Amino acid sequence: MPILTAMSSWWRNLRHRSGVERDLDEELAAYLDLLAEEKMRQGMSPEAARRAARIEAGGVEQIKERVRGARVGAFVDTVLLDLRYGARMLARSPGFTAVAVLALALGIGANTAISSVIDGVLLRPLPYPDDGRLVIVSRHFARSAFPYGTLCLADYLDWRAGNHAFEDPSVFNQRHFDLTGTAEPEQLAGAEVTAGFFSALRVRPLLGRVFGPGEDGPATQRLAVISESLWRRRFGADPGVVGQAVDLDGRRSTVIGVMPGEFHFPRPDSEVWTNLVFDPPTRRGPFFYRGLARLRHGVTLVQAQAEVDAIARRIELGDPRTSRLTFPLRPLREAIVGEARPALLVLFGAVALVLLIAAANVANLLLARATAREREMAVRLGLGAGRARLLRQLLTESGLLALAGGVAGVAVAASGLALLRAWNPGNLPRMQEVHLDARVLGFTLVVSLLTGFLFGLAPALQSSRADLAAALKQGGRGHSAGAGRRRARAALVVAEIALSLLLLAGAALLLRSFAMLQRVETGFVVPAARLLTMQISPNAARYRDDKACIALYERLLERVRRLPGVESAAVSDSLPPDREGDADTYVIAGRPLAPGELNPIVSAPTVSADYFRTLGIPLVKGRLFDLRDRADSRPVAIISEAMARRDFARQDPIGQRLKRSGPELHDSPYMEIVGVVGNTRYLGLARALDAAYYEPLPQNAGRKLFLVVRSAAAAASLAPLLRREVQAVDRDLVVTGVATMEQLLSDAVAPPRFRTVLLAAFAAAAVLLAAIGIYGVIAWSVAQRTHEIGVRMALGARRADVLRLVLGQGANLAAAGIGLGLAAAFALTRFLASLLFGVGATDPLTFVLAPLLLAAVALTASFVPAQRAASIDPHAALKVE
Amino acid sequence: MREPQDADADADGSQTNLLQGTLDLLILKALALGELHGLGVARRIEQITRGTFQVKPGSLFPALHRMAESGWLTSSWGESENKRRAKYYRLSKAGQRQLAAETAHWRRISLAIASALAAG
Repeated sequence: MPILTAMSSWWRNLRHRSGVERDLDEELAAYLDLLAEEKMRQGMSPEAARRAARIEAGGVEQIKERVRGARVGAFVDTVLLDLRYGARMLARSPGFTAVAVLALALGIGANTAISSVIDGVLLRPLPYPDDGRLVIVSRHFARSAFPYGTLCLADYLDWRAGNHAFEDPSVFNQRHFDLTGTAEPEQLAGAEVTAGFFSALRVRPLLGRVFGPGEDGPATQRLAVISESLWRRRFGADPGVVGQAVDLDGRRSTVIGVMPGEFHFPRPDSEVWTNLVFDPPTRRGPFFYRGLARLRHGVTLVQAQAEVDAIARRIELGDPRTSRLTFPLRPLREAIVGEARPALLVLFGAVALVLLIAAANVANLLLARATAREREMAVRLGLGAGRARLLRQLLTESGLLALAGGVAGVAVAASGLALLRAWNPGNLPRMQEVHLDARVLGFTLVVSLLTGFLFGLAPALQSSRADLAAALKQGGRGHSAGAGRRRARAALVVAEIALSLLLLAGAALLLRSFAMLQRVETGFVVPAARLLTMQISPNAARYRDDKACIALYERLLERVRRLPGVESAAVSDSLPPDREGDADTYVIAGRPLAPGELNPIVSAPTVSADYFRTLGIPLVKGRLFDLRDRADSRPVAIISEAMARRDFARQDPIGQRLKRSGPELHDSPYMEIVGVVGNTRYLGLARALDAAYYEPLPQNAGRKLFLVVRSAAAAASLAPLLRREVQAVDRDLVVTGVATMEQLLSDAVAPPRFRTVLLAAFAAAAVLLAAIGIYGVIAWSVAQRTHEIGVRMALGARRADVLRLVLGQGANLAAAGIGLGLAAAFALTRFLASLLFGVGATDPLTFVLAPLLLAAVALTASFVPAQRAASIDPHAALKVE
Repeated sequence: MREPQDADADADGSQTNLLQGTLDLLILKALALGELHGLGVARRIEQITRGTFQVKPGSLFPALHRMAESGWLTSSWGESENKRRAKYYRLSKAGQRQLAAETAHWRRISLAIASALAAG
């Protein structure tokens, strides 16, 4: 058919639908008249002829429906019709529609929010060209607790010398810089980087330039690249910033470029990058650096790994004290988001389950409604609607419902995402790249439509099979499709309960883990709310000298101790529960190690004399540090109980000597062990207990230290006073991270709390939906069985019997669902294993309590309709017939 | 009990499939001899096929409307022999071309089928 004709017909059909319809009516009426006339000519009475003509022609409505179907644009026509009709039907039962849309909005919204996070964090490429070729180089050797440890500069030079696999091998060192000189002193997150850093990432500055080749050698000028945010905040977005000098850690550095706002590396809050200026290292250490490089085209990660492993072997041969050294390579994206993946995937699974439960719930509601609409369907079938046509109508309705749910879901997702972004405890990388965008909205649309199809199909198939004669005869009481529908609804509820149990078990496991984590002993006994901590960073130019630093902190502690409300104060480079400062391996005097053997790397905090008293870390043996321990006195150390157990199980550690021993660290003196203190955690609560040896501040000066103060009452109110006191000692001291120990403890469990709360919320939603589902089914069944129950009561059944009958029905559904759910949970909770702490994936308590809780919820949900059933008045019930 | 319209749809569906091209060809042929109203088309087809095909209105009207939309037929309201209003259909130019094409097509097929059957 010529396309123009088709289009004009379609237009005519659409525009003049009523005209076309009238035309068709008249045509068919004329046809019947002519047919009747024909019969009359054959000798029939007019009456008989008309009847015969009608019978011969068949249903006029059916003919009309077929003609409509044959017309061009019939499809669009009926879709419009269906949509209008569907919308009207939904508007007619606002209660049903509201519940269904709400359930779907929750399901779809949660899905959209978590999908956006997954998309932004896990799926999207990093904002660097060809990001798949970027690799992070780490270090691992025997006895190191870290699979991806940091490199030293000697490693970097060896790697660079032997490199063929990478373009632009570089290293960087994440750290903080104090920006001084201009306005308020400020601490900035940033990195020291070698010249290849920016070129490996292939990022261009917004303004100026980045480091060029050779700008990381000895005797190079100090340069700085700053972020757009810093440029706007501190320099008023002045293009003349390039070439200006700034003081970073007390060193004059020249700003050479500004990076655009979307550049966030190595940390989301990095604002300054300086060129790493170094002289050829004399020893293998310290280990501060990560390697970053871009794989050459045609080189695979496996080939590159083989190359760096060969370099590691050469280093090992040259140094008998390193053993089983490797440089593990990880794709950059993996390095950034790898740790977040398990929790995100678990959350994604959880929201998918919630959506399934929501869909099952809506299917359930639709099935209930199908009973009420049985008569309508029968009438429509009788008036000539084809079954396919009815099916389409019903699916259009559920599609509309799903789309409404989807639209509401997008609103839920948007607020959910805002909440997630505000609440992100810092363990979700790339959150700044997460938004609701066309991609995710497209996903939502598809999910909504699929959901609509999913929950709409079964009820639609059921309804469109309506038995005309039976439905009409029974006056719409709907016994006909009852059995099938009852089975379908029961199956849906069983599935809902099973899925909820799965979620509930997962959430319970995380909750138990979280409770275990919070019960972990931190090692200090002073109540956390009475400890206030802050980090102090002296101007590097004025406190380059160890003596100056020590004197500064002694002066500071002196003043702080005199403040009202302060009971005790100390400084240290480490703080529980997770602020490890220095860490090193060690050697014990008189115990030579075999070649290639090494003691583990353990925490090695430097602390002022009152540190243990301030925190309440108990002395087990010997003495604490005191005024005797001066820079020029005999070097001393205090060890933790864990270390005493590990290394001095059969002898008294007091009086033994140990020394630091990083690889190729020869010159460190032996320290005499003077005391043993209780174990304290410095690597977070979830890590196995670590050994530690402490050194006194005067013998091992540190520049940036934590100040920790114990107050007589809640410590938070001391903060302003303390800050003033610090500034009074030296105006240039940069104070950051003021927080009570309570906050530090809370921050330490923020990531597990984040996922636990989310999963628990999803599980609660699931249980709620399941409860609504089971309530719906039981209430519906009670309504259906009013007559039967009336008969039973008339025959002598007591209220208790009826109650038991209905509750038994709920209990059966719950038991079936719980059985299935338990089987699924046993099979699936092991995927949670990496997120658990202190409980097994099949923790018996969880597997007893979760089903009990769900059973209680199911019975409660059945109780309301059961009671209604028990209060049925047999007279009234029987009269309804 | 099965719903009557379902039964009807099934049976009619298979018949329409079988006669998809045939019904169009018969309508075109019937109208080639002059304009007719719906019942007239049905009766003319009965007549020229010597009663083999009895076209029910449920097939006839959808076909007439479809063919009219394709531009093969034109329609207009007129008066029947007995002074009754009726909608008359007539072949358009395109319809005449279509008739020629379908006739040739049909001849080719029936020849092919006949020779195939003879070969057996």
